[in-house]
Amino acid sequence: MTRLQIVLVRLALLVLMLGAWELLPRNGVVNPRLLPPLGDVLVMLADILGRPAVQEAILVTAAEVIVAFIIAVPVGAAVGVLIAENDYLGEIFKPLLFYVFSIPKSIFLPMFILIMGIGFQQKVAYAAFSTVFVVIMSATAAVESVRADHVLVARSYGATQMQVLTRVYVPSMMPFLLETLRISMIFNFTGVMIAEMYASRTGIGHLIANWGENFQMPQLFAGVILLAAVAIAFNETVRFLEARCSTWRT
Amino acid sequence: MQHVANLSASRAEPAPAAVAVEGVSHVYDGREGKVPALEDISMTVGAGRFVVIVGPSGCGKTSLLMMMAGLRRQTEGAILCAGRPILDPDPDRVGVVFQEASLFPWLTALDNIEFPLALRRAPREERRRRATEMLNLVGLQGFGARYPHELSGGMKQRVSIARGLVQDPPVLLMDEPFAALDEQTRMTMGHELLRIWSQTGKTVVFITHSLTEAVYLADEVLVMSARPGRIIDRILITLPRPRTYEMMATDVFGRLRDRIWQQIRKAA
Repeated sequence: MTRLQIVLVRLALLVLMLGAWELLPRNGVVNPRLLPPLGDVLVMLADILGRPAVQEAILVTAAEVIVAFIIAVPVGAAVGVLIAENDYLGEIFKPLLFYVFSIPKSIFLPMFILIMGIGFQQKVAYAAFSTVFVVIMSATAAVESVRADHVLVARSYGATQMQVLTRVYVPSMMPFLLETLRISMIFNFTGVMIAEMYASRTGIGHLIANWGENFQMPQLFAGVILLAAVAIAFNETVRFLEARCSTWRT
Repeated sequence: MQHVANLSASRAEPAPAAVAVEGVSHVYDGREGKVPALEDISMTVGAGRFVVIVGPSGCGKTSLLMMMAGLRRQTEGAILCAGRPILDPDPDRVGVVFQEASLFPWLTALDNIEFPLALRRAPREERRRRATEMLNLVGLQGFGARYPHELSGGMKQRVSIARGLVQDPPVLLMDEPFAALDEQTRMTMGHELLRIWSQTGKTVVFITHSLTEAVYLADEVLVMSARPGRIIDRILITLPRPRTYEMMATDVFGRLRDRIWQQIRKAA
């Protein structure tokens, strides 16, 4: 199949799905109270985006996501590099981190609420907590992807420690780091959403949970479309950068 | 007459060997305690000579080369390069070519060759000029913009040799550079290396497992024993230069290769 054909088939599938979403509820094949037609949902999306309460919720959620991300990524990266580079720390902490990594983080959410309440800090803390482990794991893998013979080559040409870092480690790790950013954002976003849906006074997750409970399906689906669009946009942007930074990877 | 003049000159002030290894021993800490890896190695490599080291796997020849490059420190003895000890990597005195080329996959061929110059922040123009010269020297005109994954195994090693030569060090250390190449490419690369060597007048210390390669390339072959590595034979290769493929079929070539093989068999 040519590239064009693949794109056309994808588009056709998308149109088919969106068309089904529009037509099936309108014709009564699917209960429109459970799945409102796409057109109605889009009208609702435009409507709720104009509401001050929703705008405020978007800002709160965005702030939580960004702050949690800014905390989790550097901390996780630093810890990951440390345990990858230092054999002693690695031996001690790697198994522990792997154990914690395997536990679903949502079971700790009640503890976060008990300790921190249901405000901004609790959302940020929980999201950062649920993200930091995947960052540690990825950062460790990124450091371990640096080839020893590349470091040796650089040293044989008189590279300083700093030059080994900037000219060997950073370029070797770049594709992994971007992938880490992408995956950790998925975890981070999920963390904020779960915290908001579980117990909160504001935020998009809180609104979506409320709409669901009150059977306000057009609002619920409008919220879903909004979040999906933001998440996909971030993911694709980083993927684009990733592809540009790793043309040399075969 | 010239011969006599040279002799008297060297008597007055003997030129230091390009590389001198003096009583080098090495012991490393393995899982089961101390392991002697090298034992009292002494050798000298005259300027402009092509010396090949052969020996059984694990005899410590790569370790020895890493010490000559200043990348590893021996427990005893000294390694001098142009009369001064090698304690740390010194790209002005020694260039290294590794197994498997070890090119940086994120840099183009030309940028890989420039790498040593970039480390010392040489001006961009000079870097380009030197690297392009080296690219041409190793016969890769027009391939400068290619990335390593777009080059064949032989071409990668050419880039690696160019990178080793770009700072114009008098000594080039080569650690089984052609081991990963197929037989035909390997022969071609050996021949090319001799051309580059005679054009640049470098001193080469070359490690290999291939006896044919050793005899074909070397002025002299040093045979190392199994661990702990010692030098157990030094064989002068008297074949005339330039070497040709036809020489491989001669009796002299066969006898030299056979002598090395006998030594290695005893050593292993």
